[in-house]
Amino acid sequence: MAELTAFSFQPGTSLLHRLDVRFKILFLILTSLISLGGGFKGLAILSALVIALIVHCRLPLKSGLKELRFFLLLLLLILGARMLTTPGAALIEIKSFVVTGPGLISGVLVCWRLVVIAFLGFLFIFTTPSAGIKAAVQWFLRPAFFIPRVRIAMMMGLIARFIPVILNQARESVEAQRARCIEMRKNPIYRLMRLGVPVIRRTFEQADRLIVAMEARCYSENRTDPALSATPIDWIALIVVSVICGWVMIV
Amino acid sequence: MDIIEIENLSHRFSDGTLGLDRISLKIQAGTFVVVAGPNGSGKTTLIRHLNGLLMPTDGCVKVAGISVKKDLMRARRLVGMMFQDADSQIVGETVYQDVAFGPENLRLDYVQIRKRVAWALDAVGLKDFAEQRPHLLSGGEKRRLAIAGILAMESRVIVCDEPFASLDYSGVKQVLKQILTLHQAGHTILVITHDLEKVLAHADRLIIMQQGKIVRDGVPAELVGDLESFGVRAPRTSHLGMEICSWLN
Repeated sequence: MAELTAFSFQPGTSLLHRLDVRFKILFLILTSLISLGGGFKGLAILSALVIALIVHCRLPLKSGLKELRFFLLLLLLILGARMLTTPGAALIEIKSFVVTGPGLISGVLVCWRLVVIAFLGFLFIFTTPSAGIKAAVQWFLRPAFFIPRVRIAMMMGLIARFIPVILNQARESVEAQRARCIEMRKNPIYRLMRLGVPVIRRTFEQADRLIVAMEARCYSENRTDPALSATPIDWIALIVVSVICGWVMIV
Repeated sequence: MDIIEIENLSHRFSDGTLGLDRISLKIQAGTFVVVAGPNGSGKTTLIRHLNGLLMPTDGCVKVAGISVKKDLMRARRLVGMMFQDADSQIVGETVYQDVAFGPENLRLDYVQIRKRVAWALDAVGLKDFAEQRPHLLSGGEKRRLAIAGILAMESRVIVCDEPFASLDYSGVKQVLKQILTLHQAGHTILVITHDLEKVLAHADRLIIMQQGKIVRDGVPAELVGDLESFGVRAPRTSHLGMEICSWLN
């Protein structure tokens, strides 16, 4: 069996695994919003929390960073753009390129925020089964009676289920193309086209087969969903997360 | 009692190709049937009519006396299907969740779901893998997981589409043993394959298909000689004039 991507649910017994999915979604939204407005001190507090959770949940950091390499590349581009385009006192000047102090600070801040949010999402995906996500989304959409909540929730659950499948297929296609010396072609657009078309085609084929398998097992929108029940741990976690978010806002 | 009754079944695909041509067939409950034929002979098209994944253009399919069209969910509950690509039929993120998918669709309560999943996993020997990720199982274990998913729905007919495709020797033996155990427990078994070597020794009946039609139907030992004229390789022992051997011996 091919190696699985780190971006998928891994069964476990950690605190995050045991928390009610509804609370986890709430925590994810809260901490992500707070980190968007946080300064250096606030981000340091949130980063400490994320690192503690990564260690506690035994998140496969090495393979996770490997999967995130394109995201890290994007962060470098954002950092570069911020450093070069934000007005302020010059730190370094190379020909017509001027790196400004405020640009460097704002670039680091934006990238740090995005890294915190990415790892929060990573932790969520790693500790939450897609069936749980589906049940929780359905629960949150309950008041909106005019929205087809069961269908939306199932789609979200399946998206979470499909992320590792798509990444796995992309990796297999990359390896197959490497075996046929794609690296000799230096044009990135050509390489992207050669990779994108078969990956998309295979993803749709896989989705078709999954639909048939689901139908064969009597799939309908009217089904027994996983039980959601809040325990004292969830409420304690809510208090802790609220305190941390308040602290981040104050500092 | 005939658990499956097919009368004058024809299926035409949307591009106009005739997939099945006036097939009539009855399968007795508890029998072990092998359907063989070259690629494109209509084997998979035929079995997909048994639980309404495809609907007939003409004719009628009945499962346990009731038309599939009339009660689709009943047919899907009674006829469990194991697909050729074991990976693509995995829906759950743990072995337990995958087996529970069917009972959840049947709207059983949590206690019953737990009971059925535990029983099904025990029946296929995957009890200790309940919390494992299904994608990490071996090929043979994935096939057994698919069977557990069927058992949890209490299906009476188990249809296996190329169950031995891309399995190693030990995987083939695992899956074959599992299929035989289910047959002994009273399930009706339908195995679709063009690789007869591994399964024919255990079958009660052999059906050969070609170009959407049933061209032979009878006792395996009597039809072995005809197989190669329809593009299906006969078991090696039959070439030597010997009796068909089981892979489990």
